[in-house]
Amino acid sequence: MTTHYKRVSGDAVEYEVFARKTRAEPLHQVGSVVAPDDDLAMAYARATYDEERWCEMAIVRKEHVIELWQPGEV
Amino acid sequence: MRGNLPVPSHRLSDLVLSIADNKQMLGLRYAEWATRAPSLEADIAAAAMGLDDLGHSRVLYGCLEPLGADPRGLERESDPASLRALPYFDEPWTEWAQFVAANAVLDTAFTVMIEACVNGEVEVLQHRLRKMLLEERYHFLHGRSWLKSRIDAEPLNRAWTEAIEWFGPPDGEVAKLHRDGKLSMGPRELLARLEERLESKSPNARVDWKGWDPVRRRSRPGAIDEQTFGMLRGLEEKKFAATKEG
Repeated sequence: MTTHYKRVSGDAVEYEVFARKTRAEPLHQVGSVVAPDDDLAMAYARATYDEERWCEMAIVRKEHVIELWQPGEV
Repeated sequence: MRGNLPVPSHRLSDLVLSIADNKQMLGLRYAEWATRAPSLEADIAAAAMGLDDLGHSRVLYGCLEPLGADPRGLERESDPASLRALPYFDEPWTEWAQFVAANAVLDTAFTVMIEACVNGEVEVLQHRLRKMLLEERYHFLHGRSWLKSRIDAEPLNRAWTEAIEWFGPPDGEVAKLHRDGKLSMGPRELLARLEERLESKSPNARVDWKGWDPVRRRSRPGAIDEQTFGMLRGLEEKKFAATKEG
């Protein structure tokens, strides 16, 4: 019934989700979501990780994260 | 009297009850898709939005008494047609496109009306409904994004038509509440705001206001399905109640 909606498998983008509970603590990664655009990624991040009382939540496209090194490279 | 129509109530509580009943049904229909959406993320979003809207309906029901006139009567216990939800919610949705059209158009139409309440002059609505607008932002993002997947026109046109009907006739009670300052927008402004938010024009829907029910804010007769009504009234739960013998 819903197989022709290629909203995840087609042009899907992976987003990392960051959040913090208080201003005193830094943002840390709480998970990730997959979505075809920023709008849906925001909606999915909020729906998926809203069980805590975060004072801030942000998402970043995974492809925009610049890695300095990876496990096993040091 | 407007022609042969019954005199519509200008009570704000009637409108708030309509928002509450519609949000309750929207929440339930969303929740029915919590394991049927096209992706796990969409499943979770359906569940989360369903919980949001059920919560919003509770807040709205709680506003009726402070508004001075709770329009809910005993008939709501036995007559599903006494509930004030739109025909769009009468039956469970069978297609994802119906979900998306409701999410994008009807959910946003309810939000636009809540904006009109928050920006109106009634203090209890200004204070209690404001938080809903923050939560609805994510419903809007979800609906707007899914709308880009080019869903079928039929549910979309139906959602637009029912939204226009729900805003009411140009000379109806919503227009009167707007003139009185209780709402910051009347039917024309509400539709313009909905079109602005969805970045699209509504279809040329011709509404026959003569057949429009000013209490239920809909033209089509009918009511929600028996099982959903039974569940709302707790009748489904009673089937599982322990007997005295047990």
